[in-house]
Formats: sequence, C-alpha cells, structure tokens
Amino acid sequence: MILGDFGTSYSKLLDLNDPEPRPVVIRSKELTAAHRVTVGTGHNGKRFTACYINELIALARGGAVLIPDAEYVLLDCGSRDIKFIKYANGRLADMGWNSECGASMGFTIELLARYYDLDYQELPVPERPFSVTCGVLGMSRIFDAVVAGDSEAVAVARFVKGIALNAYRFAGSPSTLYLSGGLCDNPLFVNSFPCRVVPLGRFVLLEGLKITATQLRARGLLVEE
Amino acid sequence: MAPSLLKNNHKNIGIVGVPPLAVIRELNDRRVKIHDLDTPLVKAAIETTTPFIPEVYCAILRTVVLNALHLALDAIYIDIGPGKCDCAMHVATILADTLDVPIIPTRNEDRHRFGNPLCESGLPLLEKFLQITKGVQSARPPANPPVPATPTAGFWGVPPRDFSILELFPDTTHIYGWTRCMENKTPAAVELEAYCNPAVPTIFYAQSFCAKTALAKHLARQHPHGLYLDCDLQAGSSAKAKIQAFLELAGVFA
Repeated sequence: MILGDFGTSYSKLLDLNDPEPRPVVIRSKELTAAHRVTVGTGHNGKRFTACYINELIALARGGAVLIPDAEYVLLDCGSRDIKFIKYANGRLADMGWNSECGASMGFTIELLARYYDLDYQELPVPERPFSVTCGVLGMSRIFDAVVAGDSEAVAVARFVKGIALNAYRFAGSPSTLYLSGGLCDNPLFVNSFPCRVVPLGRFVLLEGLKITATQLRARGLLVEE
Repeated sequence: MAPSLLKNNHKNIGIVGVPPLAVIRELNDRRVKIHDLDTPLVKAAIETTTPFIPEVYCAILRTVVLNALHLALDAIYIDIGPGKCDCAMHVATILADTLDVPIIPTRNEDRHRFGNPLCESGLPLLEKFLQITKGVQSARPPANPPVPATPTAGFWGVPPRDFSILELFPDTTHIYGWTRCMENKTPAAVELEAYCNPAVPTIFYAQSFCAKTALAKHLARQHPHGLYLDCDLQAGSSAKAKIQAFLELAGVFA
C-alpha cells in the first residue's frame, strides 16, 4: 500500500509494503501517471488516487499521532496555502485554510532564495518584518526595500519574518505552535515566529494518511492500486 | 405595504428578502408569478452588476441586482427592515434609480409563527433549503410537513449563495439562524435567529461581506462545538474541505 501527499511543489510518498518504510520526496512537476497511490491527499492528490482524503483531515489525524497534548494548534505551511487545526480539551475547536491571503507563501520563499542566491540556514532573524499578507503581494516590499538601501538578504529576511507573523496570526496567535511542512527545515522562518515553535517536519499528512488507511482497511473499504 | 402600486396587468413580481405575509398573500391571490431575486435566476455574468454595485459586496445582493437587471419584472418588493439588512436598503435605492419599474420597500416585522418542520426534518439539507426558500413565495405553511429527525449536526445561517456546500452535510442536519426565521415567516425574530443547539456540531455560516458575519463568528465562538465559515459567490475547495473536515473530525459520520 502506497500513501501520497501531493503538494504543489513537492510530493511525499510512503510505501508501506517496504519492510522499513521511509518517505520519499519528489518534485511535483516530475510526477507521472505511474505515481498512483492507495490513499492520497494534497493539492494535486485527486489526480493520483481513487481514495482522496482532504488535507485538513490528514493534518488533524497526523497531529493526533505526533502531538501528545490535549490542547494544541498545528499549522501546516505549504507551497500554495496555509492551514491549521486547533484542539482544546481533546476536541476539535477551530480550523482554517487560507488559499487566497496566504497564497504562495512557501513557493515564494523558495523562489526568492534561488533568485537572490541566499541560504536560509545562514540568514539571521531581522528585527523588523514587512507587513505582508501573502507571497505575491509581499514581493514588491522586497524590491522597495532594496531600492531604499536594505541588502537583498535583509529584505528577504524581513519578508520571511512578515510571512511567519501573518501565519502566526492566522493560526490564532498561540503560545506554542506545532509546525508542519517543508518550511520546518527553514530556520529563518521557524525562528521568526513570536512564540515557541515545535517543528514536526514535512510528513505530518502522511502520518494522518496512515491512520485513515488503517481505518478504511479495517472496514474493508480500501482498494489497493 | 403599498398594494395600490400593484396593477392588474402586473404578472411578474420580484421579491427580495421575505416581504410581509400580507404582501405575499396579495401576490398569491392575484396569481402573479413571484421571482425570488435572492437566488440565482439568470445566466448573465455577475460582473455585469459592477457599474451599479461594488464587487466587494454581499453576493446575495449582487445576485439581486443581476436578476433585476436581466428579468422582465413589473415591480419589485424589497424588504429593508430588521428582517433583511441595511445593505438591502441601499440596493433598493440603486434599483429605484436604475430600473423603470416600481421598487416597493417593505419592513417585515410579522410575529405570527409558522413553525420549523422543514428545519428539523430528516430531508437532505439541500432539499430542506430548496423547500424553505420556495416557501417564501407562499402565504401558507407546507401541506405535508415532513417527519422530524434527531439532529446530529447543525447549519446556522442564511441560505448560501452556493447551495453545493449543503450536499456535504448529513440528512440529520438541523437548520438554525435566519433560514429558520424564513421558514417561520418571522424574518425579524432576532431571538430565533440567535438560537442554536449546543449539543450538535454546528457550522455558523454567513455570506462574505454580510453584517451577519459578526453574529455568525460570535455564536461560533460561544458554541461548544461550532465552526465559523463565510463564502462569497462560490464556495472554494478550501471552504468545502473545512466543512468536510469539521463534520468528519466531530464524529458526525461515525
């Protein structure tokens, strides 16, 4: 049985038939029709599976496995959108999915590093962020700041911090934030949040799919592809 | 009410909101065709309303303007009282200045209760909404009230512009909010509008840019298991995913 989280920029696959299953990450633009999976999620997921699980459900179920707390906020920052799940007293309390005002955050952050040849492992967190609502709208702030005298690295770092603050507010400004997605590997982004951040990595949705697959199999509802 | 504005040759009447029962009764008695302008009735692009009403505005009222511009109507009754909204009052002004037909403002403060058999029935949620919105055109209660069902979920709010979100709910979803007031034929009953069932997971829905978004969000925060949701013209995939996830994770389909 293969599970797949088909994101906008990257897809994560997990073959449970493997004796030691390990997630494999591939660029979504390299996906072919051969990449069919048993259970899938993500922006591109419906193209590659007959059993599609919506991303919020996969996120929540993954969070339930990985997070020991009864109360928490789990935020997933992807290439295209941001989404969060909030649990209180062990019960779903709130959720959000922003594909418009949180648009293209992760995509833009990655694009900027390539364009300006920057390494996020080395950029310090700036004191002042930009006020940005999404990746696309925030780009012009970078260009303006460079014209005004900021270095490219500082301007991009201010942009990234602005994006992190926007995501933090979207998630309800929690004191502790569990973070999911590829941006967990970006220390500038993670350290830009004004709260304690617990990075869970980019395979949280795959963990959620494992739960769903187990439930569906137990009910005889799973069709292996 | 101004029944004298209705002429004998008037055959096609538009309504906005829930006009008073006396108006509907007269329209029924005269056997005129009632067009509910709150619902999508024409295929013309919504952008054709842009010269008359801002794009960032309640999608229901943009739909009203769209329908009014493209349908051959003899008059329009538009409720502008506490049973509708201030935005409708401004739309009434726009329509009066734009169209050559009488625009008749009403203030529905009817108090006679017709009850909520549809809201509490086991019919599919989409069917409940279709019957409730259709019911606005009649001064009578439904002939054969459906069998009540024990609720497992709740939908609070106005009839959405995009009915496709209703297909995501189980048949055992009860309806609350202004739609309940609609069926009860008391659209200005604010206490009934604020009523909801704390025992069932409930989506608190409002149209984007509508004043009721504040009430929806407030009630969702107070509810032990509520989720606030607003949509504009069409419900996007993220809005639908939120509904699906909320109902699934709340155990509604267990």
